[in-house]
Amino acid sequence: MRRALWLLPVLWMSCTSEPRPRPPGVLFVSVEQQSAWVRNFNPLFAGAGSRWPTRAGIHECMEVFTPSTGQWVPWLATGHAWSEDRKTLRFTLREGVRWSDGRPFTAEDVAYTFTLLKKHPALDAGGVWRFVSEVRAEGPHTVAFHFSRIYIPGFAELAHQPLVPRHVWEKVADPVTFTNPEPVATGPFTEVRVFRNQVYELGRNPHYWQPGKPAVDALRFLAFPTNDQANLALVEGEVDWAGNFVPAVDRTFVSKDPQHHARWFPLFGSTVFLYPNTTLPPLDDVRVRKALSMAIDRERLVDIAMYGYTRPADSTALNDSYTGWRDAEAAKGAWVRHDLAAANQLLDEAGLKRGPDGMRLLADGQRMEFQIEVVGGWSDWVRAGQVLVRDLRKAGIHANLKTYEFGAWNARLQKGEFQLSIAWSLDGPTPYTFYKWLVSKNTVRPVGEVAAANWHRFGDAEADALLTRFETEASPEAQKELMAAVQRRFSETAPAIPLFPNPSWGEANSRRFTGFPSAANPYARLSPHAEPDSLLVLTTLAPREP
Amino acid sequence: MNYVLRRLGFYLLAAWASLTLNFVIPRLAPGDPASAMFARFEGRIQPEAMEALRAAFGFTNAPLHLQYLTYMRHLFSGDLGMSYAYYPSRVSDVIGTGLVWTLGLAGCAVIFSFALGSLLGVLAAWNRGGWMDSALAPALALLGAFPYFWLAMLALYLFGFGLGWFPLRHAYSHDLEPALSFAFAADVAKHAVLPAASIVVATLGGWMLSMRNTMVATLGTDTLRLAHAKGLPPRQVMLRYAARNALLPNVTGFGMALGFVLSGSLLTEIVFSYPGTGYLLILAVRNQDYPLMQGLFLVITLAVLAANFAVDLVCLWLDPRTRAHA
Repeated sequence: MRRALWLLPVLWMSCTSEPRPRPPGVLFVSVEQQSAWVRNFNPLFAGAGSRWPTRAGIHECMEVFTPSTGQWVPWLATGHAWSEDRKTLRFTLREGVRWSDGRPFTAEDVAYTFTLLKKHPALDAGGVWRFVSEVRAEGPHTVAFHFSRIYIPGFAELAHQPLVPRHVWEKVADPVTFTNPEPVATGPFTEVRVFRNQVYELGRNPHYWQPGKPAVDALRFLAFPTNDQANLALVEGEVDWAGNFVPAVDRTFVSKDPQHHARWFPLFGSTVFLYPNTTLPPLDDVRVRKALSMAIDRERLVDIAMYGYTRPADSTALNDSYTGWRDAEAAKGAWVRHDLAAANQLLDEAGLKRGPDGMRLLADGQRMEFQIEVVGGWSDWVRAGQVLVRDLRKAGIHANLKTYEFGAWNARLQKGEFQLSIAWSLDGPTPYTFYKWLVSKNTVRPVGEVAAANWHRFGDAEADALLTRFETEASPEAQKELMAAVQRRFSETAPAIPLFPNPSWGEANSRRFTGFPSAANPYARLSPHAEPDSLLVLTTLAPREP
Repeated sequence: MNYVLRRLGFYLLAAWASLTLNFVIPRLAPGDPASAMFARFEGRIQPEAMEALRAAFGFTNAPLHLQYLTYMRHLFSGDLGMSYAYYPSRVSDVIGTGLVWTLGLAGCAVIFSFALGSLLGVLAAWNRGGWMDSALAPALALLGAFPYFWLAMLALYLFGFGLGWFPLRHAYSHDLEPALSFAFAADVAKHAVLPAASIVVATLGGWMLSMRNTMVATLGTDTLRLAHAKGLPPRQVMLRYAARNALLPNVTGFGMALGFVLSGSLLTEIVFSYPGTGYLLILAVRNQDYPLMQGLFLVITLAVLAANFAVDLVCLWLDPRTRAHA
């Protein structure tokens, strides 16, 4: 015992050293939460747990959509054109682009990438080959996509596809399981300088096509297994750019250094819904769905569940990246506003009478009771569920919150074996994807079969007709008109109950770097999770002059 | 020798049983890994690509007994398959990222805690009623009764965040290259202090109490009276006669503790962002990553069995009675 004591002061002395200064020009990013990094830079297989900048940072795509401006930014392609019959789409590729090994980037590489998707359907996450029949390089800088049917929304899938070099991937035995440990790519950061289990660093691409860019020398990623650890590092100034959910962010982070610490949580995330299983009575009745919706006090909901970071959803359910698409009339729907009297009236009309205890009964006299399902531990949604339970009770609706472990919750949701469930929705560059998975008959799967979305199993022929016309419509005005009609149809049929759009979490520390996007300079989303916007951020950021 | 062989046979049987359970239990969980996988994409994948994805991941609807045979065959060829959560990395590679750190940190902490705790227990029993017995033992037991998570957070907050004596996370500084140098070793040691200390503090009381109690019982036996009567030096009596006899239950417990090192340091790794296997396990469960789960369980199972076999051998050496029965 006595001998062990002298160790303590020695330990203390060795532990009080100053934190080492961080290398200038190295941007510290916190995006993925991992306990240890696994080396994987495969950009093609979306199912792969590839490291964050792989799909937009190491590899690049032809054009970049930025929801914050609603614009397509030319990237590896300088432009595109549809043929007269809208069955051929030609991209003009940028000249002078080279892969990080110095070889030129050509139309052959683009065509080859898409051939890989055809050969390995597991790589075709966008389902490109459902509407494309042939991809051909028509010259070193022109690539033509021939469509099997007119499908205008397919443009987004093609423009956003990460591209790989033919001369490297030709030699890869299985592109699905290839981990691409030494990526050859066109992006701003392609050199893996350090790769260890707790840290990795990506250096500049020596042949990057934008002269003088990137101004940042390297990206460094530290492994933070939990939100708490990531937030602690952010507050301490050890991270320059992050996309974490931070509770009470203004107090815990921004106020520590208001000049440099910034957060921007625009409502560009997917809308969160309370999904009613529309195969079950009485949830198959639009009056009941609207009544449930009107019983909810969304103002209180966003305050309690989301720290006031978002706003109540309107009756189009669109998030703010679709502001240009929103139809004013469809957004006026009263069924998303808190109105207990109207909710009660709708329930009465639907024949759901109150029992002796004031709670509503089903048509056959049985007690009406719903189970709201959420993932245990997803605290924001659990709180939202608690608010919902209380609000619904005020309209005489019995609801119980039930938490499940993620796998179980998800299996019930996807198979349609639930009554009410809180879940996300699907996004795309236009509201087409969003509504397709909310109202299209084509996305309805039988109960018991796994569905990627449309978990509520709702299909509307009228909305479907509009969406189908949208697929073949190239004129922006006509597209807008069709989408307005879809929105009105959504508001009429209320297939699912929108709660609030999710914020896209983004925090920046500009002490060492400048050029982060913000509400005043919204050239991209601040969230590093927002791909491929992050390409714009990575090429705009610059180290602060000392 | 016969005894050793019998024990070995028993452990082989136990290994087989636990590997089989390892196969069965994840498959009893609700939901299937394929659908959990789809959900992780949150809509980035079109349903049309799902079947192909299933094929890529190797999800099969083959009858259970065939799956079982495949599983066993792969195990024996050392092929743990590919992790779903870290696809397309191999399970062995994923486990490899954390194994050495967990073994190093938790292994050392458990050994240290066992050695120190047992020694303290011996001393407390020898000086019964002294300050060690009446103050230190209850104090350590109290510390051990706190929830470990809370204790670790407190340590992190006080000594890491507040006083700044120790780093807040990771196994070594991110700007250091791992190397066989004094600087790197010192850095690793500095990073290990808080997590290791929190494990030691949480477990020390248990070792001390159990050692003390057995020791007290041993001190009242005829053997000890004889040793005293022979006029042996008290130190020799305490260590060679009393402690050696009283150590048996603790050694058995130590075998168990060693085996659970791999999974038991889960909370430590979460609090201190230590890159070990514990966190991998929770991730594997969350993603229904069967191959990774099974790989980890395999490592844990084998470690528990190996540790217990080693303990059997130690007991054989410590306690002549086990030899007499053999």
